[in-house]
Amino acid sequence: MSIAAARASEAAAVSTHWAGTRKRGDLLAAIAFLLPNLLGFLVFTVGPVLFSLIVSFSNWRLERTVPFQWIGLGNFRELFGTEEFWLYTINTLYLMIGIPIGIAGSLALALLLNQKLRGMIVYRTLFYLPSFTSGVALFILWKALYNPEFGPLNALINTTIHALHLPGRGPEWLSSTRNVLGLPVEHVGFQMRQWGIGARDAILLMGIWTGIGGGNMLLYLAGLSNIPPELFEASSLDGAGKWATFRHIIWPQLAPTTFFIVIMSVIGGLQGGFEQARVMTGNGGPAGTTTTLSYYIYTKAFEQFQIGYASAIAWVLFVAILAGTLINWKFGSQYTEV
Amino acid sequence: MRSLFTVLLSVLGLFSVVAARMQAPPDHKLVWISDDNPRRKEQIELFNLDQKQGLLNIPGFPANPVDGLKLDPNNIGMEKVIVQSIGGVGGDLFDSSGSNSLSAYVRSGVALDITDELKARGLSITDIWPAAAPSFVYDGRVYGLPCNVGVDTLWLNKDLFARAGVPLPERRPWTWPEFLRLAHRLTIRDADGHVLQYGFLADWGSLWQTCMAQWRGHLYSPDGKRCIIDSPEAIAGVLFAHDLIYKEHIMPTPIEEASLSGQGGWGQGTIKWFGAAKGAMALGGRWWLCTLRDQTHPTESGNSHGQPAEPTLRITAVECPYGPMHRFVCYCRSALVNATSPRAKQVIDFMVYLNSKPYNDLINAQSDALAPMRKYCTTPEFLKNPAYPEEDYNEVFRDVMAAAVPEEASLFADGQVVQQILDVQMDLVKTNQKSVPDALHTARIKIDAEIQRMIAADPTLRRRYNQ
Repeated sequence: MSIAAARASEAAAVSTHWAGTRKRGDLLAAIAFLLPNLLGFLVFTVGPVLFSLIVSFSNWRLERTVPFQWIGLGNFRELFGTEEFWLYTINTLYLMIGIPIGIAGSLALALLLNQKLRGMIVYRTLFYLPSFTSGVALFILWKALYNPEFGPLNALINTTIHALHLPGRGPEWLSSTRNVLGLPVEHVGFQMRQWGIGARDAILLMGIWTGIGGGNMLLYLAGLSNIPPELFEASSLDGAGKWATFRHIIWPQLAPTTFFIVIMSVIGGLQGGFEQARVMTGNGGPAGTTTTLSYYIYTKAFEQFQIGYASAIAWVLFVAILAGTLINWKFGSQYTEV
Repeated sequence: MRSLFTVLLSVLGLFSVVAARMQAPPDHKLVWISDDNPRRKEQIELFNLDQKQGLLNIPGFPANPVDGLKLDPNNIGMEKVIVQSIGGVGGDLFDSSGSNSLSAYVRSGVALDITDELKARGLSITDIWPAAAPSFVYDGRVYGLPCNVGVDTLWLNKDLFARAGVPLPERRPWTWPEFLRLAHRLTIRDADGHVLQYGFLADWGSLWQTCMAQWRGHLYSPDGKRCIIDSPEAIAGVLFAHDLIYKEHIMPTPIEEASLSGQGGWGQGTIKWFGAAKGAMALGGRWWLCTLRDQTHPTESGNSHGQPAEPTLRITAVECPYGPMHRFVCYCRSALVNATSPRAKQVIDFMVYLNSKPYNDLINAQSDALAPMRKYCTTPEFLKNPAYPEEDYNEVFRDVMAAAVPEEASLFADGQVVQQILDVQMDLVKTNQKSVPDALHTARIKIDAEIQRMIAADPTLRRRYNQ
């Protein structure tokens, strides 16, 4: 080896060593800065999540008279054998019926608000305004709207019925256990006399309204603004109509946004219903028809103090959410590659 | 950038060390977890003042037991109390309403057994209204003392009676048929059949329980091992309550109740509707006066709504009608001692105050239901409070209380679960979607299953159940 080559080799070795040292230094610094957050995440998020998984295999109750025992899959067996669980799962899924309607509505609204008209910013602000209102305030407002005697909704329905000389009157909304699918109150199935409009439908309608003008609309607006204008120009030159433009350009271009919204809505839907049950219908009433899985977890854990059992419900819900997300991922991701 | 972050991190670390060293001045006041009620604040103020001035001349009460008492209304709610107490950060004493709450607190180990401590202080519970016992006595042991007790009577709106030309009923025991005759005359409808004024208003939960007790119905068998809520007697009682809505049409259906809630900002609840003169008679307790005094008592400066000083509501009270049995259901709010409190002994000292004359007189004067000690409900000040001369009906509450029965509880059932089962079934009855026999039969089956689940989980209970 020549002297020059030896020097070059030595310089390269020093440089590699220095770069490695610097990389290690950067890594340590990064870890040090991330550590407070990371510790908090581990202690207050990962820890409780794992803890809840462990206790879901126990009979842990806050009552000291019941000795602590590991019961394996006992909670899960009991859970799947309880009619209550299936009824509340159906309630949860029922409230999710509105998700596609809400998504379609927010897309339609975004398309309207994407027009180049004067004062469009004002319209956009107005439509997004309800999202700033606190949930509880909205629920109280909707409770008043659903008042069967004096609420504006029934006033409109009753006036229409009266004008058309039709029999009947407006629905009982939050006071009724009826529903458009005719689901019975106490068992899984169908019952003709349960057919109608009731508390579940009232919450469902409110959910659609909330879903249309909120964050989904904003996401679609952002998605629309990202579509390259050349595509519209090309379609225009090709003589494409509005429907063809929507079908062949807008809809495929918005696929990643739709994919994201569907996933988030399904997750939110499976976790939802707690505040509505608490504020609008008392304690998940009438007769448990607005009790969702998240409210069921609360009842079992913090009203009946069956922590092990409540943890089991939480993990079943988690698996359901995971499964829903994976299904979405599998069948939805193929449309997102534009 | 790295230097900047390092400096920031060091400064934050320094602040944390300083903050950890700076401790708040010690507060030795006992913390009472109770509702944010003006009456409660007055009760605490009286205790703090009397103790400070050495006026608490109560047998068994130490000279200077505590540094005072303070209210914590933010942590009220059974779930918070139990979780915080188990975690060692709960209040020193907390409220408990009814036997279901008491059993949950005892079974979770956060309520302290004070039976022996009370005995050591020479304090007896025999002077307390006996029907209140299930709210502070569990399985023969004492876990607290009642703060106030209540029973429902019938409130009457004198003006609505006068307007309808109906004479006020006499203050004597009377039956439901006698009551119905009046209630029908006092239920007024417009030409379209819409009700303008109801003859009777009642909270559904209180009504069906009262009727069930009066018709000799029971929730549990005497040994508490079985649910017997589908007995013919219980069915007859609940059916009578149901018929008051759907057959007699003298009280609002749930839909009509929802409509009442939305009108003119009266708010929700029977008490508000009665205050707004939507019903001539209403089933309720003496504690209603806490709200209604604004309207019933003339004030010089006008009432809290800024309305004229003359009373806007003239009311009186008579016994609630009775059925086959002359009995009424008692309810009670008790204060329990947190078993994990480091100042549990001092809390028990405070408990003595709840049995004292100053406290009991204050409860009666405030109309915060009835004083827990019977003897203070016979005093001339209680029967005729000079500050509220229009309240000439206090003996009604005392007399009805004497005929009150305790709320039912079973050692073998989780009261919270039972309550949830009953809520669902009684919701269905109230909304007329399920017949009373069917609903009570379902409730019985579910409660019995719950009892079996409880004894399967708890070996001590199982042994006692099998004895």
